[in-house]
Amino acid sequence: MSPELVFQQALNGLSFGALLFILASGLSLVFGMMDVVNLAHGAFYMLGAYVALSVVQFTGSFWLALLVAPLALALLGLVLEPLLLRRLRGRHLDQVLLTIGVSLVIVDVIGQVWGREVRSLSAPAGLDGSVALIGGVYPVYRLFVIGFGAALAAAMAVIYRRTKIGMLIRAGVEDAQMLGALGVDTNRLFAATFATGAALAGLAGVIAAPVFGVQPGMDTDPGLLYSLVVVVVGGLGTLSGAVAGSVLVGPADTFGKVLFQDVALAVIFAIVALVLLLKPTGLLGRIRIAR
Amino acid sequence: MGGFAKNKLAEKRGYTYRLTRRQFLVASSAAALAACGPAAVTPSASPSASPGKELKIGQLLPFTGVYAELGNSMRRATTLYLNQNDQKIANRPVTLVYGDDANVTATGVQVTQKFIDQDQVDVMMGVVPTPLAYGIRNAVHAAKLIFIDTNAGGNALTRDTVDCKPSCKSPYIFRASFSSYQISYPIGDYLSAKGTKEFFLAYANYGFGTESAADFTTGLKKNGGNVTGNVAPPLGNPDFAPFVTQIKNQPTKNVYSFFSGADAIGFIKSWNSLGLPAAGYKMYGAGFLTEQDVLKEVKDLANGAITSLFWAVELDNAENKKFVADFQKSYPLLPDVFAVQQYDGMRALDEALKKLGGDTSDKDKLVKALEDVTFKSPRGDFAFDKSTHNPIQDIYIREVKTQNGQTVNTISDKIAKVADPGK
Repeated sequence: MSPELVFQQALNGLSFGALLFILASGLSLVFGMMDVVNLAHGAFYMLGAYVALSVVQFTGSFWLALLVAPLALALLGLVLEPLLLRRLRGRHLDQVLLTIGVSLVIVDVIGQVWGREVRSLSAPAGLDGSVALIGGVYPVYRLFVIGFGAALAAAMAVIYRRTKIGMLIRAGVEDAQMLGALGVDTNRLFAATFATGAALAGLAGVIAAPVFGVQPGMDTDPGLLYSLVVVVVGGLGTLSGAVAGSVLVGPADTFGKVLFQDVALAVIFAIVALVLLLKPTGLLGRIRIAR
Repeated sequence: MGGFAKNKLAEKRGYTYRLTRRQFLVASSAAALAACGPAAVTPSASPSASPGKELKIGQLLPFTGVYAELGNSMRRATTLYLNQNDQKIANRPVTLVYGDDANVTATGVQVTQKFIDQDQVDVMMGVVPTPLAYGIRNAVHAAKLIFIDTNAGGNALTRDTVDCKPSCKSPYIFRASFSSYQISYPIGDYLSAKGTKEFFLAYANYGFGTESAADFTTGLKKNGGNVTGNVAPPLGNPDFAPFVTQIKNQPTKNVYSFFSGADAIGFIKSWNSLGLPAAGYKMYGAGFLTEQDVLKEVKDLANGAITSLFWAVELDNAENKKFVADFQKSYPLLPDVFAVQQYDGMRALDEALKKLGGDTSDKDKLVKALEDVTFKSPRGDFAFDKSTHNPIQDIYIREVKTQNGQTVNTISDKIAKVADPGK
């Protein structure tokens, strides 16, 4: 590989990683707070992309879609948590099963409403061109994705560390029961967390649509598959873990696929296996006490 | 039978599982039936049908999963054909039995067994993925069930192979679509004969993609052409930038690719955003790279791509014009190549049965009648190769152009009467 090629592939890997971070952050947040691996996360991501498709179709504005899709998903999360998940609180495995059911329903509803054809979304005007970079031109949108991912991570870090909501989240991750005993309304906190997780999935759906496309099957690959890989590699339930996971998985997957293309599908799982062998809690995970 | 012992774990969690006596009887007798069913009901024992009797056609298609839209398209074509023919084939009212394989081979195999044992269909059609077609080959062959494949294009389904691996031809299997050889070898042969001899390959890394790439290479080498390298992303790969970046960093400007659907869209978009057209790279491919499902999303980004297929919606013949017009009268969209394959499958069956007065009881007679079928299809002259049961058909060389705001495949040349080399 020439230096130019390495540079270009590193950019590809970084922008892929940034997309993975946006995709995985919501899953990580919900798991950290509620101890639920939300297997409907991929379906939420898919729904976000389809909502964006309709918004762009009717208004022509990608930026409006970037606002509407996460809001729609947040609303869905606000309804689903009290309606379904709350009834099974404390029964984590049952909750996980429930989210599989939710994902099946969402994916089928999408098929009924939007059809089952392959669709795509264009990058918004201004970001749809390419700029000259070392070794040729590079799409502006992918550079934007890197910036967006970094900004989102920074914003989440500030909210985590500097705000009251962040404090509640950190406390909830530590011990939600104790938080309730101290007088915090955990029902509201959990509903808000689940809604935020869904909104982040919706956001990922919009941002990733111009790169990954919009089609049946996107809920599992790349949706659920890659977000699970990122949080497992990075460490379950922490923001820094999601960042570390995506910064590692993005470039590793990109280089792995082009260097070892005959085993491309296995590359990502080799990474997971390796990390789990060396550090079973993930790169930045902590040992959690089973409850 | 006093029911089952209580499920302790379930009880602890606050709910109980108890079968009622009736549920138990239903469940156990169903299991018993399933155990002896296939042996007890032999398909060849189905009563001989006389003209006027209902004709049962089993349609195995994907209606859920990634290929759902292909299944929908093929169902539309079936409905269209029957609407045009008073819901009858050779004067027999048609009953369609649809089965959804959801792109899971095991599910499709089960549905096929159900067609054979339970529904006792007269003819079976459909099947989108090649692994599923290979998976059901032995079952339909053993049951002497006439199966008209209306999509799956793996070469081995209509060829003689060593030990029938991964599959092989059967007298009872016909194909109304294409073999991957037919959409790959002729264009390789054609391009190298015209003087374009060096190619870089990009193809989806699964059975059909690798088969297509190999056939293209054989065609290319016939006239002294050669392949300088390849990239092979996994099927359904989400991000194409890494692979297109690899293409951009090698010197061969002509790139032959095999992608379809979402992969094709991702490939063509990355191809443009990474600036390959400006750098002098030229896109070639098997026709699925630039079919309508892809063109309506990528539009003029695909301009200049040269592909080969046995049909195009723009094809200028009377049958195709009527087919496209009739299809659009029934549905608010253009037909695609999958609709054509299914439509021709129905037509072939119709033509064969008319000669037999609608009699499906003698399978060998039906096989013979199907072998003799010829008709004018939307794709041109249609006939089955008598020795392989794969269609003999014209292959069109097409170039993507944007005309009057519409991005279409324009026909630039034709390779007449291409047959699969299977014996």
